[in-house]
Amino acid sequence: MREQVLIPYVAKDIDHMHLNVVPEQHRPQAALEILGQMLKYKRSLKLYLDVCTHCGACADQCHSYLGTEDPYNMPVARVDLVRKVYDKYFAPGPSFLKKWNGAKDIDQETIDLWYKYFHQCNQCRRCAVFCPKGIDTAEVTIAIRELLAHLGLATKFHAGITKNMRDTGNNMGTPLPALLDGIEFLEEELKEETGLDIPIPVDIEGAEVLFNPSSSDLFTNTDGFMAVAKLFYKAGVSWTLSSKIMETANFGLFFHEPTMREHNMRLMNAGKELRVQRIVAGECGHGWRTWRMFSDTINGPLPFPVIHLFEEMLEHYKKGRIQFDKSKNPEVVTYHDPCNYARGGDLIEQPRELLRACVQNFVEMEPTAQYSYCCGGGSGLLMDEAMELRMALGKPKAESVRKTQAKILCAPCAICKAQLPAVMAHHKVDVEVKGLSDLMGRALIL
Amino acid sequence: MADLIVNGQVIALDEDGFLVDASVWNEEVALALAKTEDVEELTEEHWKVINYLRDYYQKFGVAPMVRKLCKETGYDLKKIYELFPSGPAKGACKIAGLLKPTGCV
Repeated sequence: MREQVLIPYVAKDIDHMHLNVVPEQHRPQAALEILGQMLKYKRSLKLYLDVCTHCGACADQCHSYLGTEDPYNMPVARVDLVRKVYDKYFAPGPSFLKKWNGAKDIDQETIDLWYKYFHQCNQCRRCAVFCPKGIDTAEVTIAIRELLAHLGLATKFHAGITKNMRDTGNNMGTPLPALLDGIEFLEEELKEETGLDIPIPVDIEGAEVLFNPSSSDLFTNTDGFMAVAKLFYKAGVSWTLSSKIMETANFGLFFHEPTMREHNMRLMNAGKELRVQRIVAGECGHGWRTWRMFSDTINGPLPFPVIHLFEEMLEHYKKGRIQFDKSKNPEVVTYHDPCNYARGGDLIEQPRELLRACVQNFVEMEPTAQYSYCCGGGSGLLMDEAMELRMALGKPKAESVRKTQAKILCAPCAICKAQLPAVMAHHKVDVEVKGLSDLMGRALIL
Repeated sequence: MADLIVNGQVIALDEDGFLVDASVWNEEVALALAKTEDVEELTEEHWKVINYLRDYYQKFGVAPMVRKLCKETGYDLKKIYELFPSGPAKGACKIAGLLKPTGCV
């Protein structure tokens, strides 16, 4: 496995993130300087590098290690690639002790290993659930990917997406006229399906809700997007999209904090301009983490809350504003917890309550909730050139799903929806992947 | 990916095998691209999809949503996959000379 894993292409164009390519011979020194700076303002990074006891509790809890069987993919070993350098240059204590501890000079090979193995971590945080010290490898991966980006080593896939986001307000780079054309088409589709005039409003000032979808909802996952329009219509909520931003997936989180902040601000500004009462985020795991955990901190105080579609719809369901006919979803359905819902965004029970309301046969998979395995596409590992790696990373999830014998795999996250159909086909699990919105839309009584 | 040679002309491809310069596309380039996607022959059905994609691309600069592609051509997704085994966003867009759709797709 180890020799076959492909490294994603490195971006040629990173100017839009104000990053430069550091010449190869200067990279080790530059990497040390950046790491030194990060240690000053990222206390969590310093803590996680300091407190590991090498107990090994994380090792066989990591789907990346289980799927690739590469020892460097044990979370402890992955972080040790940095910890050895940290021990040599930054850790307190006498140098002979550091040497015993495996402290190591930094060289180009170290940086190559960082690039390789911090792009085989999905930032899923499952290791943190099992670590007695609470070490969250995702935070280390985010930091080291950021460090690498400052050396000029960002993946082509990630850099291209952040450029699209900056230019168009969505990751796919779809210009506004195409978005509006697609939206008009979906309104016609809704009319054809329901016989009703169900609007998909754009830029309505004073609407109650600004809904932020994933741009893939307007390309591949249109059933789920149309379902959202039906749900708001039935609940009697005035809502709108913003032409400034139709993207809830925030790829900046994975490797470039300034981009994450800027993307977050773009949505907050859109909400303020439209004077909405709340922002509702669509189905996207890591994007949700940025909206829930960071919005108020980095761009607050805000005049409105940022909530998830499931919180919004659960409220309407409990108040009796929407009802479901479960017989429309008779198949056995299992639920995949997106990592950033279950381990980073406080969304475990809400989607289950909605599922139990709208499907007849809901079965849990094992492991589940905060113990659930990642789909293998987390942290934006969706590039085609990494397909072989992606299939290996998805293996533990495929086995979890296989055991349920479910016909529908509910995976309410845009990355999971892109990754899981390929994983299930590759590992020969006969299941259809759908969002929770899709299932609510099918069962909604209009 | 290796560049294409069409009628003695070198056509540059990116790492994913998509055209670097969309303006060099013509029917012969499409045929050469089809071979890289294990599509041996471009039938009338293939051309119906390709022509729709190109018309949309020329108007809007991107690929249409998959649902719209299906509706406008009258082919369901299964049929599109039969014609273009790697799917609408990859195989069909590549052969039609579009840029590669990116993001969570």
